[in-house]
Amino acid sequence: MKRFNLPDLGEGLQEAEIVRWHVAVGDTVAVDQPMVAMETAKAVVEVPAPFAGVVTVLHGKPGDTIATGAPLVDFQGDEAPTAKPLPAASAKAVAEAVSQGGVVGQMPETDEVLTTPSITARSSRGRVRAVPAARELARRMNVDLESITGSGANGPVTLDDVLGAAQSGGGGSRLGLATSAMRPAAHLSETGELEVLRSLRRAMAQSMTLARDNVMECTVFDDADIEGWQQGGDYTVRLLRAIGTGCRAEPGLNAWFDGTTQGRRLFHHIQVGIAVDTPDGLLVPVIRDVGNRDAAQLRAEVNRLKAGARDRTLPPSDLRDFTFMLSNFGVMAGRYATPVVVPPAVAILGAGRISRDVVAVDGRIEAHRRIPLSLTFDHRCVTGGEAVRFLGAVIEDLQKPA
Amino acid sequence: MPRVTLVEGINLALARALADDPDVVLIGEDIGVNGGVFRATLGLQQRFGKMRVQDTPLAEGLIGGMAVGMASQGLKVVAEIQFMGFLYPALDQIANHMARLRNRTRGRLTCPEVIRMPHGGGIHAPEHHSESLEVLLCHHAGLRVVCPSSPARAYGLLLAAIRDPDPVMFLEPTRLYRLAKQDVLDDGQALALDTAEVLREGDDVTLVTWGAMVHDTLRAAEQLMQEKISCEVIDLSSLSPIDHDTILESVAHTGRLVIVHEAARNAGLGAEIAATVAEKGLYDLLAPIARVTGYDTVMPYFAQERAYIPSVARIIDAVRHTLQDQS
Amino acid sequence: MKTIAQFAIGYEQLLDADGRVCGELPPFAGDADQMRRMYEMMVLCRLFDTKAINLQRTGRLGTYAPCTGHEATHVAVGAVMRPEDVLCPVYREYGTQIWRGVTLTEILTYWAGDERGCQFSGPREDFPWCVPIGSQTPHAAGVAMAFKVRGQARCAVAYIGDGGTSQGAFHEAINLAGAQQLPVVFVIVNNGWAISVPASEQTAAETFAQKGLGNGVPGVQVDGNDVIGVRKVMQEALDKARSGGGPTVVEAVTSRLSDHTTADDASRYRPAAELEAAWQREPLLRTRRFLEQQGWWNEEREAALRKDCAAQIDAAVQAYQARTAPGVDAMFDHLFARLPANLQEQRDIARQYGAGEAH
Repeated sequence: MKRFNLPDLGEGLQEAEIVRWHVAVGDTVAVDQPMVAMETAKAVVEVPAPFAGVVTVLHGKPGDTIATGAPLVDFQGDEAPTAKPLPAASAKAVAEAVSQGGVVGQMPETDEVLTTPSITARSSRGRVRAVPAARELARRMNVDLESITGSGANGPVTLDDVLGAAQSGGGGSRLGLATSAMRPAAHLSETGELEVLRSLRRAMAQSMTLARDNVMECTVFDDADIEGWQQGGDYTVRLLRAIGTGCRAEPGLNAWFDGTTQGRRLFHHIQVGIAVDTPDGLLVPVIRDVGNRDAAQLRAEVNRLKAGARDRTLPPSDLRDFTFMLSNFGVMAGRYATPVVVPPAVAILGAGRISRDVVAVDGRIEAHRRIPLSLTFDHRCVTGGEAVRFLGAVIEDLQKPA
Repeated sequence: MPRVTLVEGINLALARALADDPDVVLIGEDIGVNGGVFRATLGLQQRFGKMRVQDTPLAEGLIGGMAVGMASQGLKVVAEIQFMGFLYPALDQIANHMARLRNRTRGRLTCPEVIRMPHGGGIHAPEHHSESLEVLLCHHAGLRVVCPSSPARAYGLLLAAIRDPDPVMFLEPTRLYRLAKQDVLDDGQALALDTAEVLREGDDVTLVTWGAMVHDTLRAAEQLMQEKISCEVIDLSSLSPIDHDTILESVAHTGRLVIVHEAARNAGLGAEIAATVAEKGLYDLLAPIARVTGYDTVMPYFAQERAYIPSVARIIDAVRHTLQDQS
Repeated sequence: MKTIAQFAIGYEQLLDADGRVCGELPPFAGDADQMRRMYEMMVLCRLFDTKAINLQRTGRLGTYAPCTGHEATHVAVGAVMRPEDVLCPVYREYGTQIWRGVTLTEILTYWAGDERGCQFSGPREDFPWCVPIGSQTPHAAGVAMAFKVRGQARCAVAYIGDGGTSQGAFHEAINLAGAQQLPVVFVIVNNGWAISVPASEQTAAETFAQKGLGNGVPGVQVDGNDVIGVRKVMQEALDKARSGGGPTVVEAVTSRLSDHTTADDASRYRPAAELEAAWQREPLLRTRRFLEQQGWWNEEREAALRKDCAAQIDAAVQAYQARTAPGVDAMFDHLFARLPANLQEQRDIARQYGAGEAH
């Protein structure tokens, strides 16, 4: 059985009345043959047969009202896939209003009745007004904005207001701990002035925060036995060379990782950032292309960068874009550490204090010079296997006599 | 009290204006015998005669120009442009004369007239019949631009427009013409021009919109209520001048603003609203202002118009996104 | 006071309403094949028109502008234009367009709200349908100007309705055509109605043909239901234009035998008697009678033609309904030669939301 529902007649109403049938049950009709005259509003519209067939059911008699989309005529035959109507002609609510007016198109109609809304006057919300940047700072510093009085023109809370509130403890914070830590205990008669971090220290605070929030740190510890070194081994240069060897063995540690796009970038050249301690704070000058420089070149470059770091004369180009970091922290004390990976780099090698350790060699007890090594890697994109193979290559290179 | 559709509300207002003021004259194509292609002027020529309700020759430039001439003589002309897409030939007259006649003559000659036109798409019409060009009109000093979103507002604002001593462009949302009904008291009471209307109170976000998008924005607000998101919906109504105060007051309360318009994004009226709120309400904002608009493409033929016109889903997503900014 | 200018408008009719010859026939009227071909195209137009209206009435087509009644004018113009000429139509002249290679499927596709209907696989330089009334006439003048600049023996033809002649653009176009003696013919199809406004209210001019005279362009009126008359007049106008003789305004007087579009209800404003009288003058019957009198047509041929047309139309409707939906990318395609970056972003958003929802 093929069913023909009352289509949108383009007459604006959702129904039409049967005026007169032109066909009867049992008639064979041809495509486009006029089947029925339907009245909508003031005009009578002829509805043609959408396909050929034998009429089996007429769904109404003259005078009956048929809703748009409701059955009108049934035909004999299989449920043939009728031509898919265009989006314009959904049988539901869209109807073209002709005698209702509309020289083009189809006008939607519903039974919806609108009411005029009653809007009450409301009291002010009293939420604090703040410069958007100040809102963001307050959020990061866990300072309660609502308790701050703004000092800006027309009264919004400014950046200084937030910093000041942080300094003096504000009016109470969401995490009481944070604020009380800010405010020295009352019984201390003498406290140092709160030094808001600037420059290098501030940069370190920011980058460490970023690292903590993003990197999945994992640290592996081991030692390199350098007892066999020839005289005059250049410690830093040997470390740099060993890092080069390690990166060639496991390129995955000479990379950048972008947590947002979950992508990593491997580098052909090895740029090692060396942590340098200066009176102002931590600087990380970068030695370029470690893998392709010989010992003399590396030493010259290290000297240049260290001197420039102390004098603070290094240009920004020497301080950016390292692909691997080296922290030679063991000058005074400290064997092992969990050094911090600075994104977007994915690894950092820490070298601790060289000491004479008791080691077992073929069952004998000997005292050998060893470098303690701590390799922290970002486990989001470096596997444990890659890390330990890297470390193994580093140690093997370091343990060579020269 | 008659329960009428928006287009019927317009018919009531026109009839009321013609009856109350002998200086009111309607001009346009097919508005007389035919009663207008959307029946907005149904029965009016039969009631008031061919001199008060005139079928003009087929020429929009002419309609724009003759309206200026008639209005300068004190006739309150209510002209119809059959579809906003056909406005362009009339723009020369509207921009170069209608908008500035008072200004150029230092008030000696004025243009107390209204130009009505269907606005926007969604009725599956052929090309050029679905345009939203309000910015072209809003940019001209000397014009008012009004866009009602309900039968009652259409009635009251049209009367206000006709009685206003200056030219008013009256944009009638085509797909709202017969969408819903409302009880409208035919008492000749005009509504105030130049004001926006709060249609729904809310606490979490302000939605500003106009025309046919009011309908979809209210639907979005209803759905968002189920997610416990409380939306305040403002019908801009007056596109020029914009009632910024109502918007600013609302943003001060909610802290978030989403502007919805069918017209294209680039240089759309949403940009004007966003700029003003950024100037005067920046410190109340908890998140960036969002705009949900038509794309910067030609209004597509109707097979694609549903993809073009901002959907309820797009409005809802914009609100959710705005609320993601924590403050 | 002495008279320094006068005007006269000629009227051409070679086949009257009953199909009788009433003037000297031009050579092509003695060519059975040519005459039959024109009649066949007129019948195809009539049957296609009916089908398109039915498609709209059964929810399978958007608003459609029928051409019933205008077939003689449309087909005759198509028959004498050359392939290298350019047509600037309004939105009803399917007979001319089909003759020039626009497909039935393309016509349906356009009225289905799909821009691919305007892509015209056939006449690649013809303008698409033009909705802003009158704006096609300056286009035709411009095309003719290009022909003049390049020294090409090609013509532009613009259609316009009786209502359209009230538009300023119409006069601006004719004025230029006259001043520059451009190779363009303006065909005013006067069917008596501009939606609901009768021609008597559109203008005080006795003829529309004379509307060119104010701009120095000669005009001629012809019975638009007389396929021989229209073809003769158009041939002369095109020959003149092509040989550097300048523009002509041709007014074809015919009747609109349907509503303005499928969304119009002409019974609201059009007297039934006027419509009935118009049907008496309709073009297909008189053309068929002429062909039969010449011994070039009979019942068998008619039946075969109708069968053939039905098959053509069916095939076109099948192809039309088999179209895949355009997809949201269509909104961004062909916007510029190269899509600017900000629009690529918007296209991504549009793709995300897909086809949208019903309103």
